Amino acid sequence: MKRLLIVDDSKLMRDMVAACLRPLGEVAFEFAGTGLEAIERLSLTGFDLVVLDLNMPDVGGLEVIEFVRAQDRSRALPILIVTTRGDDENRTKVLEAGASGFLAKPFAPQQILEEARRLLPSKRAEA
Amino acid sequence: MSERVDLQEFIGAFAVEAEEIVAAANTSLLEIDVAIGQGTVRPRAVRDLFRALHTIKGLAGMIGVEPIVEIAHALETLVRAADGAGGVLDRRAVEVALQGIGAIAERVRAVAERETIDEAPEGLLEAIAEAAARGCAPIAMAPIPPEWHARLSPGERQQLALALQTSDPVWTLSFTPSETNASRGITIASVRARLGAVGEIVKVIPRAIAATAGGQTGVAFDLLIISNATQAVIAEIAATELDGVIAVVAPAAAPGRQITEVMDVTGVGAEPPAPIERDDLPAVGRAVVRVELSRLDELQDQLSLLIVSRFRLEREISSLAELGHDVRRIREVAQIQGRQLRDLRRAILRARMVPVSEVLEPLSLLVRSLARSSQRDVRLELDGCDAELDKAVADRLLPALIHLVRNAVDHAIEPPEHRVASGKPRVGTVRVSCLEVAGNFLEVIVTDDGRGIDRAAIALRAKRPIDDEATLLEVLTSPGFSTREVPTTTSGRGLGMDIVRRITVSDLGGKLSVTTHPGEGTAFTLRVPVTIAVMDVFSFQCGPQSFVVPAVVVEEIFEVLPEMLVVPPNAGTSTISPADRQASKWPRAALALIERRGHAIPIVSLGTLLAIDSGERARKALVIQRNGDRIAFTVDRMIGRQEVVVRAIDDPLVNVPGIAGATDLGDGRPTLVLDLNELGTIARQRGVS
Repeated sequence: MKRLLIVDDSKLMRDMVAACLRPLGEVAFEFAGTGLEAIERLSLTGFDLVVLDLNMPDVGGLEVIEFVRAQDRSRALPILIVTTRGDDENRTKVLEAGASGFLAKPFAPQQILEEARRLLPSKRAEA
Repeated sequence: MSERVDLQEFIGAFAVEAEEIVAAANTSLLEIDVAIGQGTVRPRAVRDLFRALHTIKGLAGMIGVEPIVEIAHALETLVRAADGAGGVLDRRAVEVALQGIGAIAERVRAVAERETIDEAPEGLLEAIAEAAARGCAPIAMAPIPPEWHARLSPGERQQLALALQTSDPVWTLSFTPSETNASRGITIASVRARLGAVGEIVKVIPRAIAATAGGQTGVAFDLLIISNATQAVIAEIAATELDGVIAVVAPAAAPGRQITEVMDVTGVGAEPPAPIERDDLPAVGRAVVRVELSRLDELQDQLSLLIVSRFRLEREISSLAELGHDVRRIREVAQIQGRQLRDLRRAILRARMVPVSEVLEPLSLLVRSLARSSQRDVRLELDGCDAELDKAVADRLLPALIHLVRNAVDHAIEPPEHRVASGKPRVGTVRVSCLEVAGNFLEVIVTDDGRGIDRAAIALRAKRPIDDEATLLEVLTSPGFSTREVPTTTSGRGLGMDIVRRITVSDLGGKLSVTTHPGEGTAFTLRVPVTIAVMDVFSFQCGPQSFVVPAVVVEEIFEVLPEMLVVPPNAGTSTISPADRQASKWPRAALALIERRGHAIPIVSLGTLLAIDSGERARKALVIQRNGDRIAFTVDRMIGRQEVVVRAIDDPLVNVPGIAGATDLGDGRPTLVLDLNELGTIARQRGVS
């Protein structure tokens, strides 16, 4: 069972992301409404993939990436950024900070599903 | 497994969340506006506003509501610039933002109602872009401790500087999440929410720490907050030691000398204001769920069915009693069940109630924006509104109140100089007050101290004498009546009064009345029920009349083709003859069976049953399940599916079996709500089926 953390300050957006990713099959979704909660959850448990929004109160997605990447245990954690600010400048900044993938909102359900499949550690690698 | 995900399924949830975001954005704007009036800024409100716009833009994009994306995007640009400038937004920018958010709110409503979404209003995007290009002059900023300077954004710096300048207590503290804390419900989310409730958070910075044996994890959060709460309260919220909460003080104003040390609060001159008692702390994380109104409606629909079957149970018990059976025990149980059903009904109704004050909230913003655009000095007073109201009533009532308040500001309140000249206070007052009255009714009274309605002018325009207030109201609320062409100075009322009447009387089943005194003002009283029953129904035509049935009882609707008919085993006069079948004529008042999914089910002509048969061949049939048996009713034509307000028919003289209530499909004529279950029973008794 893979564990996914979906971080967005909008409940609806969290629900929509989860709906889009449900075809992944055997995954357990967990949710966080702020960057702070995300950092707390990531420090308490391990995840296989984080889907992260950028614009959140107090601690944004960029700060979450920076924090996560600075920790040994989560240096390799796949982080998929999903943001309304889809411009190239932002994409470069986010990828340089250490995000594993970048998806601009609005996206089609199939797009995020493909990205998630690409980023999730494959079964073979696990074995 | 299908990978196809349709985001359109989220439209209902979008409407709910978008409405909340719009309300939050309006609150932020109001806060910013108040700050402007006090000559200061509210950087935190600007940030919140920005985030609200950003979120709604993202959501609208996902759902595919382009006009909202466009407006939100333009506003976002405007507010981002303000955030960058330390949270400065001027009055003109607030004005344009107010219009923009209003336009978003209208479109959110259209989404909720499944209506077509209008493009952005003409000129709005340009006006927003212009305000963004104009920019706002940044205000001078007080110095802040240098160790915070680099860690804060311009808006956050401004927020801290202002607090230090006005000697609001500023604190730093750390929170370390741990298993122990988590098990006590203390997480960064609860700490953030509870601190946010006793003050204002400026910044939270995560910091990696070495994991220890005590179940602590590798992270701590450093918080910078502004709060009037005591050190002890703050420490308690963050589950930290008292001396872990440290006061931050402003650097000395004298340039060159920097005070970088932080001081412990003990011995600091300014005593924080009254301590907040533990019990006063908002119970954050209290179990609150958001529920789409349609789900509560569903619950209510199911309850209605339960009540219907309870009545049937009662009837069965009575007939058993008539047959001489001892029904005391079973009747006792039925009575208890009846009480429980009543309690359940009350509980469901309670879940739908919202405070009236919440309903009226948008009015204050409306009045301020109207007053500005019409150059009136107007104050809105909201009074006595701790009553509660069904959300379904509230949603319908608000547009009526908006109409009345808008008319009052635009037409009733005189320009300031006229008011002064006639010895009135310069600032006009529009007052909305509420009163709970017997029989589960609420009276909402919209009063103004404006010029009053000029009956003579209205009479002239309506070409009929107006002797009393009832006639006046009738004229004012007749469709299409407008006093617009009458010079505004003598009219006092504008458009839309017919809508106010329709909402109050037709939609809500309430009463509308008016009293007016020339030169002194006008009061409109809306007497509305506290709750209404909203039902999802199918509407259809049968003979010359339209009817509705609750959608929840209908199992399926299908097209009736003559070849579907099967002849029942006890074929008699009531069956269809081959000749009839040839002529595509529907057997009227005839017992017939129809094949549906491999089963023969009885089919009844509703037109015949209700004795309003048009002679036309019925084209559609509705299937309902009745005590496990299916039965089909033919109707002439389906009209559609919609939500209606159902009113019980109280008049005992119209207590007709099979009629559950009345509603209005929007044409102003009463439409009957049918109880197909009961009609099925009648059909069987009459041998029609």
